Amino acid sequence: MREHSLLDTILEPGGLSVVFQPIFEVADGARKIHALECLTRGPRGSNMESAGILFEYVRRKREETLVDRSCIAVALSCAREFPADLNLCVNVHASTLSRDREFVGFLLEKAEMNGINPNRLIMEIVEHAPPWDIPTFNQALNELREAGVRIALDDIGLGNSNYRMLLDCLPEYFKIDRYLVSGSHTDYYRRAVLQSIVELATKFGSHVVAEGVETQADFDSVRTLGIDLVQGYFLCREMNSERIMESATSGKMVLPSVGMSVHLN
Amino acid sequence: MSAATLSIKERILVIDDEEPIREAMRDYFTSIGYIVDCAQELEEAQALLTHVSYSVVIADLRLTSVNKVEGLEVIGFVKERFPATRIILLTAYGSPEVEREAKRRGVDAFLLKPKPLPVVAQIVFGFSRGEA
Repeated sequence: MREHSLLDTILEPGGLSVVFQPIFEVADGARKIHALECLTRGPRGSNMESAGILFEYVRRKREETLVDRSCIAVALSCAREFPADLNLCVNVHASTLSRDREFVGFLLEKAEMNGINPNRLIMEIVEHAPPWDIPTFNQALNELREAGVRIALDDIGLGNSNYRMLLDCLPEYFKIDRYLVSGSHTDYYRRAVLQSIVELATKFGSHVVAEGVETQADFDSVRTLGIDLVQGYFLCREMNSERIMESATSGKMVLPSVGMSVHLN
Repeated sequence: MSAATLSIKERILVIDDEEPIREAMRDYFTSIGYIVDCAQELEEAQALLTHVSYSVVIADLRLTSVNKVEGLEVIGFVKERFPATRIILLTAYGSPEVEREAKRRGVDAFLLKPKPLPVVAQIVFGFSRGEA
């Protein structure tokens, strides 16, 4: 008898788990949480525990749609008790939006089931395999926006998160990958690329998020360029939902609307 | 060569659809000083290879059914992207055609099952010593 397939293991109850990493607003010297990014992990103890390997596997199996749905269901269920003014970033493949015409309905249904207003959601779009069905993709984006969901384009400047994707998505958020951020304090060319992305985002009327900020030097570098949404280990590592709730109820976690200091580490 | 003479821990990827074989390989090669990852499916192996660097890949020819020869795909995937990685193909369904195709794709060793693990290990040791 053949073994249980890996995909079955990933999709069975408890196969996927989620942790949350804050994106901070740092514009005025304070550190306020702008949103929490939901980060999926595969089955514990397996190769798939690493998100990089998990999603590489899923894309090679061409099962992004099935797994994206499961990730959304798990993330929103874990976040159901979070404070009602906390924004949540959830990831989806562009291929899912272009193949699964029911995806937006599924997302909104899960949001409603878990008491999460869609206007708290930021949909982070990742893509690795164009071309996709642009009309269906655009329709999904329109449906998301009509429901109040904001759009972020992940990994700007890498792979297929390029100018074409920017024009197709017109995202409210430009998320800049750590590849461009890390070492930018000493790298003239990285800073030049970052600066051009910031200028482009400004012309789009979009926010910029610097991901993978792990040192004071890179933090200062992105701040100097005017980036005021920052994510990375320098400010806070990812946390499970229990830790988020513990922080929230102890008064140590500060929401954008409250505007107090944040102590999460 | 033994674990004592492996100055830097080398990393091996074992690809086989049968868990007992994967675990036996993991236990054996770990006991002699290697770091061992295992994969049961072609796509899992490809995902690992994309993110992790391996000295040696030991792959079974058939991973899902007797009609498929994913092991040959593994050879192509590895040799196109990581030419320095050595690859051993193991199969219980050897034929001159399959062996020829495996060699055409760049396999470093083609072994018929069953093969005692110390024999496989000797080939891996040879790779570690830089032998062809």
